[in-house]
Amino acid sequence: MGIKIVPRYGKSLKDRLYLPAIFSGMKTTMSHFAKNLKDTSNIKTECYPEMQPTDITSRYRGVHRLTHRDDGSIRCVACFMCATACPSDCIFIEATEREDGIDEKMPSLFNIDLLECVFCGGCAEACPCDAIRMDTGIFSFVATKREDFVLNREKLLANKAFRGEL
Amino acid sequence: MNTILVVVIVINIILALLFSLGAAPILVWVERRVAGFIQDRLGPNRCNINGFRLGGLIQSFADMLKLVFKEDFKAKAIKEKFVFTLAPVIVFVSAFLSYMVMPFADNLVIGSQTFIMQGLPINLGALWFLAFAGLSIYGIILGGWSSNNKYSLLGSIRAGAQVISYEASMTLALVSLLVTYGSINLVDMVNFQSKLLFGFIPAWGIVIQPLAAVIFIVTAFAEANRTPFDIAEGESEIVGGYHTEYSAMKFGLFFVGEYVAMSASSALIVTLFFGGYNLPWLGTDTLKENFHTVMLAIIVILPLLSLLFGRWIVKNNVWPSKDDKRNNESKWLIRVLILINIVVIGILGCFLINGITETTTNIAVAIIQIATFAIKLLLMNFVFVWVRWTLPRFRYDQLQNLGWKILLPLSIANIFLTALVVVGLGV
Repeated sequence: MGIKIVPRYGKSLKDRLYLPAIFSGMKTTMSHFAKNLKDTSNIKTECYPEMQPTDITSRYRGVHRLTHRDDGSIRCVACFMCATACPSDCIFIEATEREDGIDEKMPSLFNIDLLECVFCGGCAEACPCDAIRMDTGIFSFVATKREDFVLNREKLLANKAFRGEL
Repeated sequence: MNTILVVVIVINIILALLFSLGAAPILVWVERRVAGFIQDRLGPNRCNINGFRLGGLIQSFADMLKLVFKEDFKAKAIKEKFVFTLAPVIVFVSAFLSYMVMPFADNLVIGSQTFIMQGLPINLGALWFLAFAGLSIYGIILGGWSSNNKYSLLGSIRAGAQVISYEASMTLALVSLLVTYGSINLVDMVNFQSKLLFGFIPAWGIVIQPLAAVIFIVTAFAEANRTPFDIAEGESEIVGGYHTEYSAMKFGLFFVGEYVAMSASSALIVTLFFGGYNLPWLGTDTLKENFHTVMLAIIVILPLLSLLFGRWIVKNNVWPSKDDKRNNESKWLIRVLILINIVVIGILGCFLINGITETTTNIAVAIIQIATFAIKLLLMNFVFVWVRWTLPRFRYDQLQNLGWKILLPLSIANIFLTALVVVGLGV
């Protein structure tokens, strides 16, 4: 068994004088200050409302959107999988018959209450036809009334993907 | 009573107000911006009046306005309402009064009259400062006690223990300076420092008395309740310390009082150790004799400095979105800078061409000295801020160890040494 001798610091005269350590600390802070004063663009702070974030990842769960088929019609078939998977019961769907022959069913009403939503991503996970996604990158949603936080079918269809359609 | 006397006294009082009370918003701004830059962030930079941000200075005024209009809440548990209200007033007034003996310039001679350029024309100097700086601790102790709150009481006990551990060494460090300078009058002390040591070093206090300077500066941090000695506040341990229960402008008085006390401490440090209002190598008499050269030097240096500052503004004072009115600010700032240059150079040019009377020289020298004092004061305040954002807080017992076991013996030894040298050399 070897013995490791740990050096003990703080007993030398230089350490006990305190002042050299204080001055070296002040040197460090001064170098940061001087660098940032000389050119404020060295600071990585983004002035938020003017500069929007550019580093949102593709897995970021923002506000939902409903996807489209190739012909531009709604992809959702109103199977209620998302509403069933939703832990906070924030998805309200009413189904209706689809008359255009592309499919059999579609939602006549598709509301998501963002005040109830916990942004777990369960709906996008559960969807069998890739009809609901959370890739809009919208992280900030504000309104003056509670009713405005309920997104209806048209608003959800209008939301765009943050990085473009895949 | 004559007109000149009244004018000079009014100007002195306005200057004292500017340097102490007017410095508070500027120091808050300096503190927050310097803290930001030291920690690689921006600090307050959004607040503006019609696009004018002045680098974020407007934020201080907005904050002060907020403090004035907030509800002055007082908990029911507070029984000693009078003492509770009095405490911030004591802190503020004593910090403010301790500023009143700082000389901004050498004694001004106009005609046959001589004026002392201080807020209050008294000769008590350093003793006045010590008296009122010592009084401010009563405000902290009374405020903490009357708050009827455990944390506030702890804060004020800490403040009490702190004051007895540093005030002794502070005063003793000052005694060795009094022995060196042979006067308690701050103007005499500054004039002593305008001499040269060995013919080329300015005989500043920090050169003559380095140990006293270190002790005094360290204890001045404790005096002003600044980090690393702000254990009375100790917001990470005892909520807000003595001002936990205070709100609105009562808190504001504590807050402003802290900055005024810091500014007063810096003013005393500058006066005692960094040559006060003197430019290095240029005492009052040298300035007066070579005033033409000084004017020429100002005419050359001022535009150069303005050019550098203007380029810095253009480079750094930009706002991310192009059409924001904040982007117009740089243009106006540069216009103001050019205007200042034209006015100063015009006046100095007039003096150079037409010659200058003795009274005008005296007044001009006083203005130069006031500017020097202001710059030194700002630099010293910057050191206070700089240290605050570098060092963590001392522990309660560490401060007392430092005060009693290290600083006190050192300052007594320093008095002994100083006395030996003074007696030995027969200065």
